[in-house]
Amino acid sequence: MLALTCAQSSAPAQAKTATTITPSFSPDQLGAKGALTLTIAYEGERGLPSPVRRSVVKLPAGLGLDIPTLRSCSAARLRAHGASGCPTQSQIGSGEALLEGNAGSQLIAESVKLWIFLGPLRGFQPTFEVLGQGYTPLEERIVLAGTVIPASAPYGEALAMEAPPVPTVPLEPDASLETLTLTVGARPNRLARGANAVVVPGSCPVGGFPFATESTYADGSASSDLATAICPQ
Amino acid sequence: MPDRRSRLCTAKIAPRLATAALPVAAALVAALCLATASAASASETLSLSAGFTPDSPGASTNFSLTAGFSSSTGLPPSPITRFTLYAPAGMEVDPRGVDTCAPTALEQHGPAGCPADSRAGFGGGVGVLELPAETLREAYTLDFFFAAKTRGHLRLLVYASAAAPASVDLVLVAKQVPAPKPYGLGFSVEVPPISTLPGAPDASIESAFVTVGGANVAYYEPIAGGRRLVRIRGIVVPKRCPGDGFPTEGTVDFADGATLSVKSTIPCPRNS
Repeated sequence: MLALTCAQSSAPAQAKTATTITPSFSPDQLGAKGALTLTIAYEGERGLPSPVRRSVVKLPAGLGLDIPTLRSCSAARLRAHGASGCPTQSQIGSGEALLEGNAGSQLIAESVKLWIFLGPLRGFQPTFEVLGQGYTPLEERIVLAGTVIPASAPYGEALAMEAPPVPTVPLEPDASLETLTLTVGARPNRLARGANAVVVPGSCPVGGFPFATESTYADGSASSDLATAICPQ
Repeated sequence: MPDRRSRLCTAKIAPRLATAALPVAAALVAALCLATASAASASETLSLSAGFTPDSPGASTNFSLTAGFSSSTGLPPSPITRFTLYAPAGMEVDPRGVDTCAPTALEQHGPAGCPADSRAGFGGGVGVLELPAETLREAYTLDFFFAAKTRGHLRLLVYASAAAPASVDLVLVAKQVPAPKPYGLGFSVEVPPISTLPGAPDASIESAFVTVGGANVAYYEPIAGGRRLVRIRGIVVPKRCPGDGFPTEGTVDFADGATLSVKSTIPCPRNS
């Protein structure tokens, strides 16, 4: 069951692209093991949003990730072999994205399937990789590198992702990210024994679990958004 | 990610109507793998560049072309009446797996009237409108679609569109034509006069870019009980590169009677 969410936009005045983040827990029970789904939408002021270059998602304090068997997968391995080239235990989530690009007179859309993997530790800092695989009209594979960094209260940690340019065809602009949906962990109906899972914090702050996103774009602009996942009843 | 290095190369040469010495100089430049090629008539100048992305021999690729048109008179160049492109020998167009679009569908419904898997490429550029008090520049777009072959010859439909200040929607047909050596493939497209605003002369072209084919194009094809992914070869880089690069040539006929021809060389792949 998805938790109700409430979002307030807080885009900077000069932003040309607006961002919204929608979080939800499944199940939405304090201390439960399950999944966290984050949907981030980008909207251009005029036409397509500028391509995202960096995105930071701040997570509520107390949120945990239960990893029964710690395995990781490198970005190079993902690029070379795709999702099947990595240990099953290293996958911590999945998702989907919609990319769009202008070419000729047309707006070309591509649905991209996403897999999230634990990456090797960088120093003592956890990393993760997001593998994106689109099939049509362009059969493309990209890997986004991410790190887990500390975030100041009321957040606990943040996911920081670097997004490479996604070329469409020569002489045409790079593709823009319209929506990104990431599910970390596994929903209860898919929560197999030994599966990686998100652990919902054991207590909920007044006003709900806080989330935030900050994005920077290829045109140099930036935007942000705040959202709250309402406390479980 | 696939290799997306672009190796565009342009070269300047003299027009067919110019003195004999200029083509010689131009040929020398081309032999040095020049980066720029252009031609000039009494008033018009044409520059051309072409490239393969990626450029691995035998690979599915994107063939891209940019062209610039200018005039030495200070006025917009004369309108174009025909453009002919000669592509390198060995470059293949492999249309297996692609659909075709009917000219009437494109005329009546625009690009949305064509099957997605009939798309061959994209492009655009800037057009020029000369008005009594000012010169207006207007962006336009190009969409390319495969059409049914005629007598075994390939045809591409070109949808040219501009929105404002002048609204233009044109469907042109690029027909495969014989290519002289050292080329292997030729396409020619007739361009009708493009009227724009009342009282204004026909539109001219200041720049154009075209990109056709693709390194990794794929479409789902319905099959019984599901669908399958069909990969399109499209345009294929020649398997062998002549010593001084892949030759291409563009010829433009203008409404004022001038004809300009420009040769451009695409550098050989580094690993060839």
